[in-house]
Amino acid sequence: MIRNLKELYQYRALLWALTARELKARYRASVLGFFWTFLNPTLNMLVYVLVFGVIMATTVERYPFFLFCGLLPWVFFASSVMGGTTSVSDRKDLLTKVRFPAQVLPATVVATNLVNFLLSLPLLFLLGAMYRDWPTWHLLFLVPVLVVQTFFTLGVTYLLSALNVAFRDLQHIVANLVQMLFFLTPVLWNVETIPPVKRWGLDLTAEQARDVVLYANPMAAVMNAWRDIFYRHEVPAWQPLAAVAGISLVLMWISSGVFERRREEFAELV
Amino acid sequence: MSADGQDAIVIRGLVKSFKKTSRRKEITTLKSELVRALTFQKREAEPPQLIQALRGIDLRIPRGKTVGIVGRNGSGKSTLLKLVTGIYTPTSGTIEVHGRISALLELGAGFHPDFTGRENILINGIILGMSRAEVKARVEQIIEYAELGDFIDEPVRTYSSGMFMRLAFAVATHVDPEILIIDEILSVGDEHFARKSYAKMNEFRHGGKTILLVTHGLSTVETWCDLAAWIDGGRIRMFGEPRQVVAEYRRAIAAAEAEAEKTGTSALSAPGLALPQTAPAAAPAVSTRLTAVRLQDVAGAAPATFTAEGGVTVLLDYDVSPRALARFGVDVMSADGRLVFSLGHDAGELEGKGTVRLSLPRLGLADGVYEVLGTITRPGDPPAPPHRVALSVTGGAKAGVLRPVHEWKVERSS
Repeated sequence: MIRNLKELYQYRALLWALTARELKARYRASVLGFFWTFLNPTLNMLVYVLVFGVIMATTVERYPFFLFCGLLPWVFFASSVMGGTTSVSDRKDLLTKVRFPAQVLPATVVATNLVNFLLSLPLLFLLGAMYRDWPTWHLLFLVPVLVVQTFFTLGVTYLLSALNVAFRDLQHIVANLVQMLFFLTPVLWNVETIPPVKRWGLDLTAEQARDVVLYANPMAAVMNAWRDIFYRHEVPAWQPLAAVAGISLVLMWISSGVFERRREEFAELV
Repeated sequence: MSADGQDAIVIRGLVKSFKKTSRRKEITTLKSELVRALTFQKREAEPPQLIQALRGIDLRIPRGKTVGIVGRNGSGKSTLLKLVTGIYTPTSGTIEVHGRISALLELGAGFHPDFTGRENILINGIILGMSRAEVKARVEQIIEYAELGDFIDEPVRTYSSGMFMRLAFAVATHVDPEILIIDEILSVGDEHFARKSYAKMNEFRHGGKTILLVTHGLSTVETWCDLAAWIDGGRIRMFGEPRQVVAEYRRAIAAAEAEAEKTGTSALSAPGLALPQTAPAAAPAVSTRLTAVRLQDVAGAAPATFTAEGGVTVLLDYDVSPRALARFGVDVMSADGRLVFSLGHDAGELEGKGTVRLSLPRLGLADGVYEVLGTITRPGDPPAPPHRVALSVTGGAKAGVLRPVHEWKVERSS
């Protein structure tokens, strides 16, 4: 794992150049260009607000803002994982023609989406301002939460990108899983409104049910932390985040190993 | 270890095998793996289907030399280059590379069609191993070399294929490598740019760079390379002076073609198969064989070159024991391996040693070097490898193959 990160640092010029290119390429040749960075999540949000805020009339206050706090980091995660899965298998042109450090490819996807996420943050603050909701000092926690999420995303992406070279079914499976995970993660809904569970032989209080959600799904913990920072203006609970950090470390260790072991056959299989 | 630093590349016992991915019956997908896991079927213990592309290569590329690699399609040339470049990893064996490598395997790796030439230079340069600062320092030089004019600030997708190649070639050659690896791409662009790229290669050669070159242009190998390696069936068949290696390679191809003509099958029909050995087979106890093939002119001398209008006699020295029917054959091949003509003669029963003469009162060939292949066979036996001698012709037609008996006449109607 350390070696992987070290090599990644060694190739930072390449990583940066590719990331910059991806960002530029994303909106090149489109009329609205860079504004799609803002437009995409906004349109997305408006649909969800229409469905859950208006039609289903949720009780969550300032629902558009609430939704946006979760949606932006979710898009960062989902785009990274889906794009990252095919990042190695799609680059036959690079892997078979030149000596190319394959580990840069998944990292490029994550870095591109990370930058995109950061660029769309002003939009979040703008929306908050419309509700007279100003950022507080809790914004300081943005850094650790972002580090944890990026690390977790990298771990998932490395594993999936390495496996997808040999098993191309994975990219379709991943697309479906990400979609399912979206609904199981508190993006559209609030963890605090989870009711007590009294069925299937379970007897959980609301609090226990919430803990199950937060600890079973690493992304739930991260999403909740974003809400704490932007929406509730609280210090995020450190225990679920620490658990995610631990999971990320283990995952990264496994992913790096798998990636390293499979790397030799990339050029032959892509 | 080449402690003396004399060798740029040292390859020892290099083996590369590929797994055959198209297992007809079960293509490995996650689904099939899952189904197998769920139905508790054991993986059938079939041996993994391996294709050995390289079967043990030992090669030393001396520093500052230009080395040409020849061989048929599928003989393992490109695999070798990809291994040296580091795209593939060896199955076993080692490759030591001393110095910065630039590989011109495929030009324009990582070019993005929506970006301008200038932007692509940066990214391509970094992919090829330059630092950002190095690329920045050389950008103007590269642009000037590529001769794209104002197009340099247009998206690459608007380029003609020639412009694309020129830009890619310009970037690749400005990496300033110590070792340059080239796969069949010297003919870039139009006449003018092709000359320019040759000049660039010459600059590399004289600049003391090591060049490893794969090409099917045998004359390029003869005129350009200091050394040549012939890869056949995943092994080095010959390594040494380019002229000799190319000559041997041509002989083997010609032999395989002759064999194909006679038997209908040969190593040529299957890609990657080794060519037949051309060395004369050891004399068996029962022998019907040629001991020599000689060429003479009408005066009985053996000159270095023959004239197109003069005659030539082919002498086949035979040794037949015990007594047997014998059929003699003389084939003439052009330098590019085409059969010019094929003559045969049933000599009846022979025994002991002797000489058969084939007289051609007028040679009638165009200028060039030909190969005369002499054979002796007993009816029913498989054809034996032919004896070969070179036939050099001058003073005839400058082009084509034949110089027929002819006469020019001008008739004026007024």
